[in-house]
Amino acid sequence: MIVVVGLSHRTAPIGVREKLVLEAASLPDFLRALVQRAEVGEALLVSTCNRVELVAAGPSGFDSDLARVAEACVDALAVHSPGIAPHLYTHVGGAAVRHLFRVAASLDSMVLGEPQILGQVKEAYEVARKAGTVGSVLHRTLPRAIRAAKRVRTETAIGSGQVSVPSVAVDLAREIFGDLSGHSALLVGSGEMAEAVARLLKAGGAQVVVVGRTLSRAEELANVVGGSARPWSALPQSLIEADVVVTSTSAPHFVVDYDMVSAARRARKGKNQFFIDLAVPRDVEPRIETLDGEFLYNIDDLSKVVSDTLSTRTREAASAEAIVGREAEGYDRWADAEQATPTIVQLRTRLSSALEEELSRSLRGKLKHLPETDRAALLKMVESAVNRLLHQPTIRLRQAALDRNQDSLSLEQLSAAISELFAFDAELEAMSGPENAAPEPEIETADAEAENSGFSLAPKARVVASRS
Amino acid sequence: MAETATIAFYLGVIAYSVAATLFFLELARKDGGASRAHWAPRLLALGGVLHAIHVVTASLLSRVCPIDSLHFALSFSALIAVGAYLALRERLRLSALGAFIAPIALTFLVGAQFVGQSSEAALGVSRTLLMFHIAANVLGIGLFLIAGAAGSVYLLQEHRLRTKKRVAAMGSRLPPLDALDSTTHRLLLAGFPLLTFGVVTGAVFSHQLSNPGGAEALRSLLGYATWLLLATVLVLRNTAGFRGRKAAYGTIAGVLCMLLVLLMYVVRASSGGGNL
Repeated sequence: MIVVVGLSHRTAPIGVREKLVLEAASLPDFLRALVQRAEVGEALLVSTCNRVELVAAGPSGFDSDLARVAEACVDALAVHSPGIAPHLYTHVGGAAVRHLFRVAASLDSMVLGEPQILGQVKEAYEVARKAGTVGSVLHRTLPRAIRAAKRVRTETAIGSGQVSVPSVAVDLAREIFGDLSGHSALLVGSGEMAEAVARLLKAGGAQVVVVGRTLSRAEELANVVGGSARPWSALPQSLIEADVVVTSTSAPHFVVDYDMVSAARRARKGKNQFFIDLAVPRDVEPRIETLDGEFLYNIDDLSKVVSDTLSTRTREAASAEAIVGREAEGYDRWADAEQATPTIVQLRTRLSSALEEELSRSLRGKLKHLPETDRAALLKMVESAVNRLLHQPTIRLRQAALDRNQDSLSLEQLSAAISELFAFDAELEAMSGPENAAPEPEIETADAEAENSGFSLAPKARVVASRS
Repeated sequence: MAETATIAFYLGVIAYSVAATLFFLELARKDGGASRAHWAPRLLALGGVLHAIHVVTASLLSRVCPIDSLHFALSFSALIAVGAYLALRERLRLSALGAFIAPIALTFLVGAQFVGQSSEAALGVSRTLLMFHIAANVLGIGLFLIAGAAGSVYLLQEHRLRTKKRVAAMGSRLPPLDALDSTTHRLLLAGFPLLTFGVVTGAVFSHQLSNPGGAEALRSLLGYATWLLLATVLVLRNTAGFRGRKAAYGTIAGVLCMLLVLLMYVVRASSGGGNL
């Protein structure tokens, strides 16, 4: 299981959040230093504008002492950024898994359903993977979190529509014109939102022209958005050329009236034109909407679309929570069953190596005359025998891990009995350690040994181990 | 072969029906609901293939050239509409038109079964010219059906954007207005010479008929009305910026006239006068 320690927009104001900044370049070192602590075996850090969270697991895989892991994480963050400790929250075990799944699915984001968080979680996983601070627990937890988030995005409307006025405006332009490249946009006046719309239009491929009462100011804005500037007197001509017109002046009257648009429409031979009026008081005379091919959205219209989208997302949040809940339950069951893995792997390795040894001896002795095809057949037979022998014990051990409340023998009792019978207590402990948590290294060793004797059971063992 | 034709017909009906349902469900789908939209064009294509198999095998069976009988000509024009739609949908982002094309194809495939299958050409009319007349009309009908569908979707999308209703809910599921407008225009341009040829040759046949009745005259009149409406749309677009909503209304009116002409053929053929 895992722990999550961090802070977000829900627990810490921006003044606190900005204290906890971990530069991308120093992040791998921070994570490596963290996993060198005795209490922590694996770690990754999700860092966005609104949250910084450490996701960590202990050195003994699923059997670690999570309270100690959490303490170590709190300490590491507090040492890095003094003063943030009171704002940190800690989730442990199943609660941490649910929290991570909710974060990846954007259910805990400031803007519900925003799409960036999933990419940020993936990136955090990748950074930690490259830094070598991800082990078997996180390797199996993060893909599940990502899968839950993808399910939420595809099966609900949590990510539908746009939730910012500029994005809505540009989406509407696309619904009228399709691809914006080759189309021209006119920005009348200035303003933060108008600038954002112009930037998005430019990014969509549109040519942007800025018209302002002060040419120098228009030129300044044109440079910022990557367009060209024209004087105020060029407004009527610019209206004829523009497919999208964004207005945001502080004029107390209409700067684009019905007659101007009507004249421009005639010159444009009826081509569609889209007005985005972001000004209050309004810049564009509403009557232009009666003209065929003229579309007008003011700030209220755009805000209503945003509000509708947010309402839809809020409604969908319940379905999204249900999906996350089911995925987290699935994870819990899997994590329970996973506790049987070390015993199963140990058992398989023991059986395989015993048979391997015997077979190898025979192949060097009485059976050395056997051709390659017969050796291969023997190998297959031995593999099948191992699988058949272990089939029932594997099922029984996993069942015991899942049915903890049953009257039958518990996983611990069965594991102890097996360890006792096969005398591999010491090996079992070693398998649970951080460096051996993933079964591959063990299997690689078996593989290498087996190769020396001319055959190997290891490939099969690796498949089984990685599935478990 | 009769069995092949029958099986292809029924399977085609099923494929078209399911495709039409899926296209409509996609339009009505809430954002985030599971989309089955990618199956709709595939099923429509499958329906088209089965439709083609049906037309070919049935015409071989009845020894009738597919464009020499109203039965097959109707069926064939729907097939052309399906083919043109499938060819254009990706390039022009016209997926939503499938909600119109699939039911049209289904109607024409099924409807054509109720029309007499006689291929006897009218007496006194050049058989070669008649073949060209039918071929041009079949192609033209196929193109105009899509133009009419594109015009209808244009009006839906324009109404939605103008009234600002369901803007957030529908997202970008309908094609962009400009794409719909230019598609309608291109299809009209492509189909208009065929329509002109069909109207001219139709007028020649009408003149050659010894005793054209009132229905014949009305049918000719509707044919001329179709031509006039669509010609007006094309001319005014270039001269007076007649595009968008007005062009869509004009196109739909023209296509409706064309469908009325077809309906008259169907009624006449069904009542025993199976000639084209």
